[in-house]
Amino acid sequence: MKRTTKTPLAWKNLTHDWRRLAVAIAGIGFAVLLMFTQVGFQNALFDSQVKIIDDMQGDIFLVNKAKYTLAAEKRFSISRIHQARSCSGVRGAYPVYSELTTSVLRIIDAGRGSRGYALRSLGYHIGDPVFRSESINDQSNLLRAPGVALIDVKSKASKFKFDMQAPEKLHEYMLELASKKLNLVGTFDLGTDFAHNGNLIMSAESFAKYFPHRKRFGDPLSVVDIGAVHLVPGFPLEEVKQRLEDTLEDDVHVYTRNEFREAEIKFWDKSTPIGTIFMAGKIIGFVVGMVICYQVIFTDIADHLPEFATLKAMGYTTRYFIRLIVVEALLLSLIGFIPGTLVSLLLYTKLASMTGLQMLMTFECLAQVLVTTVVMCIASGLLAVRKLLSADPASLF
Amino acid sequence: MASQTTIPATSGAFADDMHLPKTISVSGLNHYFGEGELRKQALFKNDLDVRRGEIVIMTGPSGSGKTTLLTLIGTLRTVQEGSLKVLGNELCGADRDLIVRLRREMGFIFQAHNLFESLTAFQNVNMAAELAGLDPSIAEGRIKSLLTRLGLSERIHYKPKSLSGGQKQRVAIARGLVHQPKLVLADEPTAALDEKSGREVVTLFQELARDEGCTIIMVTHDNRILDVADRIVNMVDGNIKSDVAVQETSVICEFLKEFPLFADLTPNTLAEVADQMMVHEADPGQQVIRQGEPGELFYLIRNGSVDVLIDDGRQEKKVAELKQGQFFGEAALITDEPRNATIVAKEKTIFYALGKDDFRRVLETSATFEEELRQALFSRK
Repeated sequence: MKRTTKTPLAWKNLTHDWRRLAVAIAGIGFAVLLMFTQVGFQNALFDSQVKIIDDMQGDIFLVNKAKYTLAAEKRFSISRIHQARSCSGVRGAYPVYSELTTSVLRIIDAGRGSRGYALRSLGYHIGDPVFRSESINDQSNLLRAPGVALIDVKSKASKFKFDMQAPEKLHEYMLELASKKLNLVGTFDLGTDFAHNGNLIMSAESFAKYFPHRKRFGDPLSVVDIGAVHLVPGFPLEEVKQRLEDTLEDDVHVYTRNEFREAEIKFWDKSTPIGTIFMAGKIIGFVVGMVICYQVIFTDIADHLPEFATLKAMGYTTRYFIRLIVVEALLLSLIGFIPGTLVSLLLYTKLASMTGLQMLMTFECLAQVLVTTVVMCIASGLLAVRKLLSADPASLF
Repeated sequence: MASQTTIPATSGAFADDMHLPKTISVSGLNHYFGEGELRKQALFKNDLDVRRGEIVIMTGPSGSGKTTLLTLIGTLRTVQEGSLKVLGNELCGADRDLIVRLRREMGFIFQAHNLFESLTAFQNVNMAAELAGLDPSIAEGRIKSLLTRLGLSERIHYKPKSLSGGQKQRVAIARGLVHQPKLVLADEPTAALDEKSGREVVTLFQELARDEGCTIIMVTHDNRILDVADRIVNMVDGNIKSDVAVQETSVICEFLKEFPLFADLTPNTLAEVADQMMVHEADPGQQVIRQGEPGELFYLIRNGSVDVLIDDGRQEKKVAELKQGQFFGEAALITDEPRNATIVAKEKTIFYALGKDDFRRVLETSATFEEELRQALFSRK
């Protein structure tokens, strides 16, 4: 009885009129693009915000409890680092220094200073395993000289007009950082985010020289922004984390890498309007797609009402019609998804190179938009199916 | 006396195929449209029996309810009042499953072709074959032979866009027939067709009816195809005004023409006479009329045979035997005298009887035959 090759009515009806199909694909593709843009921007924002975490070495991170985001300049005492080192299971703990508001970089051109822009200066003790980037670690020896730094190639080109393609010529620029002379000796790759327009990396010693005001009295290096803790291999993460929490005073958060990442993303998602704005964008994309999809399916049904009524008279059941429309919606979502994704991919690449943001089409991102698109099309199909079920075969005579 | 029934002679109830099962049995069927104050009755107490293998043509002015009746038979509307049995199933109060099952045993041919533009002729027809669960290879053979039969062999894989109106209609007809339905309901199936393909379609209907016992009900105004009808049902204002078995009527007319007094009547008048006759039955040995009684009816023997007995005062003597197609009882009606003989049925016998008044009126009509001829010649253009 049951056969495998039924007449593919849904597919035939969909592809019969190529003009209508093109419009449908364009419409759904547009909705897909809209959603991808939102998801992409949001992920880019979040990924960019935590890029520094991803680029750091370490299993556990220490930050001041009041440091609600990486850009907040709340520090903790270096003694926490020393205490952490004494914990069993800890192989090493290393301080990372960061400065943003007073870290203003200015180009001196023909004896006159141009307008300066703030960027993030990062300082670390040369030799500490805190950064993953090979370009940093390879050039760490260059940083031993006083008054030198590496600059992030992704620093906003509009504000920091350097020729990043020729790092060996960077030292020719006359620069001032926090009103003190600075020489650039090379580049590294970190990326900008919503709080930071660019990055510099230097030795802790240089860092102390540029930002002596970090601590009103005493060593500017005695206050730390981030502590990177490495574990002795074999020690369970949770156990060591617990021990650190017990050992250290209550003024620091002890985060695992994931917790650190999540806490930072959570801030941007929940404590700023950014999450809401992107959610609104996604919902708009969803609604636009649903309206387009409903329109396409509804028109298809309305144009073929006598034919569907004939099928009803022949004895086709309600179940058949619902399945037909669901299949049609599914096909529509899939063939709309492909061009939508391709265009989005193109846009991602363009935007990434233009803004320096991390525009990555991850698997999760793809899956999220695909599922939303399918749900969108099937939902609108089920809304439109009522029209089909109202087809009255008695009206055919 | 023979027992009288209320069955008209032309209903075909006593024709040769009376033993066949009823495909459709309608009794006391009412139907209403609208609700409340706007409720309007569309069908009034309709009765109709259609037997297996019959081709029925329904006629009547628009709004007469023939389409309503057709959609009710086709399970496309819900039966409200009365009884409607299709293929042995009562439709009044039937559930969805039964209705879907019945629909799959029917073939619908609508006035509009209603083909999917996106499917080829073959695929459109296949939509019906798939539903019936036909084996694909068998289905393919059937579809191709049907389409070829309907003159579309060259266009099997064409889409409706490249077919003419008539060709599309023929594809729709193939779709209505491919699953070997037991009942075909057709609405003006030949309206869009030329003479030749219209003829081919009705020939196909006849073959289906004859070879597969398929019952066919057609609403049509196409008088080119009236000849295929076994039965013509005429509806007016929601009532079945006449329900005539064509074959039986023609048999009656042939018989009546043999009657000398009716020899001059036109076929039209003969058919009217046939319409006025009622069925009577008599068992073996039963007296149909008795000598000396007043005469009220004129009899035509449809089936069986009778003895004519005359009592000459001393004894009753058999003077003749009458068989199928012969008459008796006219003398008493013409002369207004008592019956001059006794008629006794020899076996189970069926008569068609005409009342005295109707009989006389016919004779008067016969007298005006020449008048009627003049009229006919005059109105000829």
